[in-house]
Amino acid sequence: MKPCETLIVSPPPHIKSGVTVPTAMRDVLIALLPVTLTSVYFYRLNAVFIVAVCLAAAALTDLTIRRILGRPSSVSDGSALVTGWLVALCFSPTGAWSWWTAAAATFIGVGLAKEMMGGLGFNRYNPALFGRACVIILAPLFVLLNPEFSELAVRFPMPDAISTATPMALLKQGMQGPAYLRLFLANAGGALGETSALALILGGVYLYLRGHICWRIPVSLVGTVVALTAILGRDPVVHALAGGLLLGAIFMATDWVTSPVTDQGKIVFGVAIGVLVVVFRLFLGPVEGVAFSILIMNGFVPLIDGALRRLKFGEVRGAALVRKAA
Amino acid sequence: MTTRTFRAGIHPPAFKERTMAREVMDIAMPEELVIPLHQHTGAPCGPLVKVGDEVLAGQKIGDSKSYVSAPVHASAAGVVKAIEPRLYFTGAQVSSVVVTVAKEQKMAPLPPGKRADDATPEDIRKAAREAGLVGMGGAAFPTAVKLSPPPDKPIDTVIVNGCECEPYLTCDHRNMLERPSEIIGGARLLMKAVGAKRCVLGIEANKSDALGLLGDAIKDETGMDVMALEVKYPQGAEKQLIKAVLDREVPPGKLPMEVGALVHNIATTIALYQAVTQGMPLIERVLTVTGPAVANPQNVRVKVGTSVRHILEQCGGAVNAAKVVLGGPMTGWAQSTLDVPVVKGTGGILALTPDLAGPDGHLACVRCGRCIKDCPMFLYPNFIGLYAEAHQWDKAESWGALDCFECGICAYVCPSRRPLVQFVRTAKAQITARRRSA
Repeated sequence: MKPCETLIVSPPPHIKSGVTVPTAMRDVLIALLPVTLTSVYFYRLNAVFIVAVCLAAAALTDLTIRRILGRPSSVSDGSALVTGWLVALCFSPTGAWSWWTAAAATFIGVGLAKEMMGGLGFNRYNPALFGRACVIILAPLFVLLNPEFSELAVRFPMPDAISTATPMALLKQGMQGPAYLRLFLANAGGALGETSALALILGGVYLYLRGHICWRIPVSLVGTVVALTAILGRDPVVHALAGGLLLGAIFMATDWVTSPVTDQGKIVFGVAIGVLVVVFRLFLGPVEGVAFSILIMNGFVPLIDGALRRLKFGEVRGAALVRKAA
Repeated sequence: MTTRTFRAGIHPPAFKERTMAREVMDIAMPEELVIPLHQHTGAPCGPLVKVGDEVLAGQKIGDSKSYVSAPVHASAAGVVKAIEPRLYFTGAQVSSVVVTVAKEQKMAPLPPGKRADDATPEDIRKAAREAGLVGMGGAAFPTAVKLSPPPDKPIDTVIVNGCECEPYLTCDHRNMLERPSEIIGGARLLMKAVGAKRCVLGIEANKSDALGLLGDAIKDETGMDVMALEVKYPQGAEKQLIKAVLDREVPPGKLPMEVGALVHNIATTIALYQAVTQGMPLIERVLTVTGPAVANPQNVRVKVGTSVRHILEQCGGAVNAAKVVLGGPMTGWAQSTLDVPVVKGTGGILALTPDLAGPDGHLACVRCGRCIKDCPMFLYPNFIGLYAEAHQWDKAESWGALDCFECGICAYVCPSRRPLVQFVRTAKAQITARRRSA
């Protein structure tokens, strides 16, 4: 026998599951397809264009920033593309949208919030929401910039029936929102990622079945919003289905890197975001309360993880207390 | 049939079909045996022979005065060629007796066997010690020590471990099919040695033939049950098996006797029966030779001390092997060379082709939580790994590093391919070294 004389030595295990970061990111992109297709149905080429701009911006940012930092490109792991796609879904092609705003949000998300923080796994804040929130805060800057770039603006024809007011804005103005069923199935108005609750839930179920997310964060988050708005005499169904709540609960708050890893921690995280969302929506100004709520709670994740540990196999509650005190 | 199990764990593909239906084969005697003097948990043995001595098969060639130890025996007759440090499967150099095997094989006079019914608990322990019995499931803890629980820890149930939850391995499965009477005889001896009234043969539900065969065979035995367990890794890990069978949890840092249980592997049970009834020392064992690189995968009976190279040659060779593992794929040890002996605790030789051999580069932890969800000890492997990387050993310990038994699940499921078992091992070594120096 003439075996290979160089044998590979590595620690166990010597078999691995098929799930890797790239396959998981591919699954997230698949899960985003239903709501993206709904938005394309409503906004036509405008939606396609936003997604394309953000994907391109994400890939370019990854390449350039990582080159500057002396790291190999990580476009192939798919995480930058997921961030870019999620940023795109936060934008609405109606109103004062411009493609460079979306590109800037993507650049801030992928470049600043993620790569400059150490890359995938080291970012404290959800990159997509961080980028989106920065653009909201920098709105005055874009008001200043937009006329300078107006010649670069791209607009595709939009079907006539699209209303510019989002359901959440209508609600704030005390006006009649769309019917429940329409809100649930598909409704234009608002960001790309807010066009269909059903499509978002489909994506969430897919991620759940693939084992990438667990039910705890989305259910506790949406449950809290529903319960609190009902108690406070508002319409819980509209608050659950409209605006960015489901997009945030299913795709943003469940982001692996920026959410707690402990089971109890996930519940606390979801409930806290839910409370903040209700506070933002009912008592404070910005319409994008979900984004800010999630970002605020992102900051608390290490604290939550450290405080809420499960018991080890064979450990009893009393012994755990003794261990902590010792 | 309802199957019982523990919480968490994973369902890796079994890869057992290559060898599970093939009867155990004897292989040709090698020309040379390398018999390590330290094949067990506990104190190493000193040699009882010197270079140039003639030895007979079954002759004791190494022993120790320590309580936690197990003697070693010559697996074949021959001449002692050398006593020197040789490469052991863990990568360490272990003092070993090298025997040039004689053409004519002669057995040493063995201690007289006893009828199983006549053996007293003390006889059983003594026979286990004299025969050099150790746990053959991998941990290699001296059997005689396990059979001597202190009087304040009564054992009510013996569990014979027929789970064989590691993918690829089928040697326990074959043993169950081919030697049921010795397993039952050994189980009786285990019960008698520790005064247990009950014995459960825990077998994963995918071995329905073994479940049926042993179920029939124990019909007339009092206090003995066969229990089908869910096919899930690590069903055969001691604490998880006790949880599944008895619904008792062994506390962190404690032994099974804490909850009145004793677990022994199938092969050990057979070896105990042979040791007590025939005075037969542990000089050979059945192991699975398998993996996509092996030309003729099968279960073989080999002498302790046979080189991996010889065994692979006897199984048609492994020309395309890029990685050779001793043990199972989840917990086994990758070898740097084929010139390493199999020992009492070796349950398998796994030869993997280049496409399956890695090594994988790894990414940062993305906090997906899969390792936490699947950890059968309910630890936080991700944090242990991160703090081990950062050399923050206290924090690694606080997240449970010392409670890990290295089943490998965390690293198996990690989408970033992080070497979490290696991180845990580093953390454990550092934590214990610090304790010793403190």
